[in-house]
This record gives sequence, structure tokens and C-alpha cells, in this order.
Amino acid sequence: MLHGARGIYLREILILRHKLVKTLLASAVSPALFLIAFGYGVGRGTSVGGQDYLSFLLPGLLTMASMNQSYAIATEINISRFYFKVFEEFLIAPFGRWQIVLGEMGYGITRGLIPTAIIALYSLFCGVSLHFGPAFFLALLLHLAIFALLGILAALIVRSHADQATVNAFLITPMMFLSGTFFPLEKMPWAIKAVASLFPLTYSTRLIRGTLLESSDVTALLYLLLIAMAATLFWLCCHLVEGVEA
Amino acid sequence: MNCAETPQPEILVRGLKRAFGKVEAVRGIDLELQAGEFFAFLGPNGAGKTTTINMLTGLQRPDAGQISYQGQPFIKSSYSVRRRIGVVPQHNNLDRELTAAENLRIHGRLFGMRGRHLQERISACLELAGLSDKRDTPTSTLSGGMKRKLVIARALLHEPNILFLDEPTAGLDPHSRRKIWAFLRLINQEQRCTLFLTTHYIEEAEQLAERVCFIDQGKIIASGSPQELLEKTGSYVLDIYQDEDIENEFFSERSSAMARLAQIDSAVRIRQTCLEDVFLQLTGNRIEP
Ligand SMILES: Nc1ncnc2c1ncn2[C@@H]1O[C@H](COP(=O)(O)OP(=O)(O)O)[C@@H](O)[C@H]1O
Ligand SMILES: [Mg+2]
Repeated sequence: MLHGARGIYLREILILRHKLVKTLLASAVSPALFLIAFGYGVGRGTSVGGQDYLSFLLPGLLTMASMNQSYAIATEINISRFYFKVFEEFLIAPFGRWQIVLGEMGYGITRGLIPTAIIALYSLFCGVSLHFGPAFFLALLLHLAIFALLGILAALIVRSHADQATVNAFLITPMMFLSGTFFPLEKMPWAIKAVASLFPLTYSTRLIRGTLLESSDVTALLYLLLIAMAATLFWLCCHLVEGVEA
Repeated sequence: MNCAETPQPEILVRGLKRAFGKVEAVRGIDLELQAGEFFAFLGPNGAGKTTTINMLTGLQRPDAGQISYQGQPFIKSSYSVRRRIGVVPQHNNLDRELTAAENLRIHGRLFGMRGRHLQERISACLELAGLSDKRDTPTSTLSGGMKRKLVIARALLHEPNILFLDEPTAGLDPHSRRKIWAFLRLINQEQRCTLFLTTHYIEEAEQLAERVCFIDQGKIIASGSPQELLEKTGSYVLDIYQDEDIENEFFSERSSAMARLAQIDSAVRIRQTCLEDVFLQLTGNRIEP
């Protein structure tokens, strides 16, 4: 059962082993810098919506950093498709191509767990108490699935490495900053709010922060929205991967 | 249903076509391969060899035409057909960070193999390729010839009946090339595998193939055993040196070639025809310019 998805997942994990140190560092360093700059530099002593800024910031860093890791599979798929052509091994094997999407999605989710664990540690150091319950893990799973699928989608649409960099600059970086990760959206001008309302990260951040801080932001509607996004992206990726050629 | 006297061909191709925008890469190809055959697709760069192999292995879609394996039409969901096919692409698409054994293991898993059986096949294929001592070596450190052998071993892992090889020795030194040739003969004879190889090296087709198809500009222009192709053109050829050029005259018998030789005043040489002459005769171009 699912030998294709599992084979692809195995391949990605074997390769991840070889760059584990790099991945750990990448997952640890940039959230730490944000934490120092925003948390201690700017936000010390300020409170946001009734809670201290660090409690607000840490969940945002968690969604931002885990999004980056899950989405980063885009570049890898791109290289394996256009440069090393290992992707052809997936295409000739005897299984439905949707299993490629499933396997890579599993890998993207796994990668997203690395910064999640690191930021959970940071929260201990900062003395911020976050609530890691089932509601959080369900939200996290959906969040990571969405960004892994967005990574796969980008890799399937984009034709080259240079185009990939363009997508990152015009979509991923703005999303990182404008989705209520570092600053509450309520304080933003309406134009930014409008843009933010288009970013999936806005919704997953709101939900994940809600679960971690046990606030009233946790609603069934938000879960349903994330489920719908993940399902749509999965369908879209499966549709596109059918058309992929060597 | 099938009559015993007329076994289904291993591969049957009719009217295969594929264009990329305005470039008609493959312009109507018909092929028939029998089980166990060693077949070579010989043509210059850009002739449409890779595009043909890609369509036969499901990596590219034909614009028109039919492909069937043992009478079974080949479509996207023909997983049973895919299990019978091994593919050695033009490019060594190995995972460089992973070891030789890990590369094979992943291939096996993608083909639904596991456990003891997979372990045994990995050892057997490494052994067959003479790479047993490289089992735990990252493939980035292997030589070009070893990488190529590993890619071939990987394609054999799931025990296919048909092996497609796209330019298996392109870019290798003569020594490694000969080693690969010996390896391919072994696969064809001892593993009883049907081999479909593309090449732009005349010597490779002459040395290995029972049957050769010339492909040029997306069309098959001649096919037959190397012997038949040579005989059809004439087994003996005179190279007649004229100013800048060499003119060729072909003869079936050595004696008639010798008789003609005696009549010519300019510099002239008699030799046996090779497949390069056949291709030149048919197209006016050389395969390897
Ligand atoms: N993906 C592609 N896009 C555009 N043109 C292509 C593509 N693949 C092949 N071609 C063109 O089709 C022709 C045949 O190519 P190919 O099958 O690779 O030839 P060969 O393998 O015999 O060298 C060439 O003119 C090549 O430039
Ligand atoms: Mg080619």
C-alpha cells in the first residue's frame, strides 16, 4: 500500500539526514534573531491585545519558521526535476502520480516539525508558557500540509531556479511579514489587511496562536478553512503532476 | 486467443509522433521488437532518439500513435507494463549524497519491493555490475563508468524484461565503454532481457546489436541486422580521392570492386563497408560530424 509515497518519503528522509545540521541551524538561527530583535529590542515591556509581546511573538515565529521549512521543499524538487533529474525515477515507477504529491507532502510536514520543536524550546527559555495540546497539533498539521503543498505547487509550475527566487521574493517574503506573525494585523492599514486576507499564513497563524495561547480565536470555521485550503492545494498538485514530462 | 505460431511482439509501435512547438522531434515511427532481441536505435544528435524512448517509457506523451507491450496497450495506468520496463536515462540521475545501496533501495521501494527480497536483489545487482565493494560509497565519489553501471544495475533491480538505454556510453572513455558493452551483452544473454539502446556511436551499434534502426530527423530511414544493412548497400567500397572530396562506389563482390579499382587513375582505396557508409549513403550526412 502506498509504496510510491513511502518510497519517495524514504528518499527525502535519507537525504535530509545528510543536511540535518544545516537544516537545524537554519531553523534555529533566524527565529533566534527575530526573537532578539523584535522580542527584546522592540517589544520589551509592550503588550499586545492584553498579553505581553513575547507571548504574541513566539507563536508567530513558530508559524513563520515552520512555513519556511515546509515550503523549502520547492527548491529541492526543482533541482531534482530540472538539474539532477531524479524526479524521472518517480515518474517511471508503477504507481499513480498523486502518490508523489503525498510523499513530498509528508516530507514537507516532517521538515516543518524541526523549527516547531526548536521554538518550543525557545519558549521555555523565555519563560513563556504555551499550550501544546491536540488542538495545536491538528492546526500545525494543516498549516504544514498547506505550505508543503504550496512548495510542491511552486515546483510544478515554476520552470527554473531563477523563477523560484522570484516567487520567493514576491510571495513568500511578504507573506512572512504581513500575516500577523510579528505584529497584530489590527494595527495595519486597510491595504495591508486586504493583502493579508489573501495569505493562508494569516489564517494558520491566527489559529495556531489561538491554540497555543488558548484564546477565543480557535474556531471550527478556521479549521474548516485550513482543511479546505489543504484539500484544494492537494487536488491542484495532483492535477498538475499528471501533466509533468521529462 | 493468440496463436502459438505468432507470438505477440514484445513492443509494437505504430505511427508514433511528437512535436515540441514547431520542432517535429518524432515524425511517425513504426517499430516491432521481439522478446530477447538486442536492438539499437542509431542516429545523430537531435534525431529524436530520446523523445522516442521517453514516449515508450511513459515520460512523455505522444501526439499520435500507439504503443503496446505484448499486445497490451501502454497507457498511463499500465502499472503492470511499467514493472516490466527498466530505464537507463541519458543523464546519470543518481542521488549523489546517497550510497550505491541506498540508491538501489529507493528504486526497489518505488517499485513495491521490500524486506529480504529487496536486500537480495540489491546484492545481486551490485554484484552483477561489479560494484559490490562500492555498496556503501556515496555515488558522488564514483567514476563516470561506475555511475553508469550503477544506473544500469538500478534499472535491473525490479527484474524487468525490457531494458531501455539512452546513450549508455556517451561521454565515457574507450576502456569504460568496452566494459559497459560487456555488461550489456551479459544482461542480454544471461538475464534474457530485451535491450533497446540508442546511440550515436556507429561502433556501438555494430558491436552489440542484432538489429539496427537508423533514425534521422524523426524518421526511421532503414532497419535490419548490421550484416543486412551492409549487404544492401554493398559490402565493399572504393574511396576515390578527388581534389577536396572522397567519392564512394559500392560493390557486392570483392572481385567487381577490384576490377573497378584497376580502371581508376586517381588515388583510390578498397575497404569493407561500415554502417557509417550506409548512413551517409542514405542521408548524405555523417552521424558523427
Ligand atoms: N523538451 C523539448 N522541448 C523542445 N524541443 C525539444 C525537447 N526535447 C527535444 N526537443 C527537440 O527535438 C529534437 C529531437 O530531440 P531528441 O529526441 O533529444 O534527440 P536525440 O536524443 O536523438 O539527440 C531536437 O531537435 C530537440 O532539440
Ligand atoms: Mg538523446
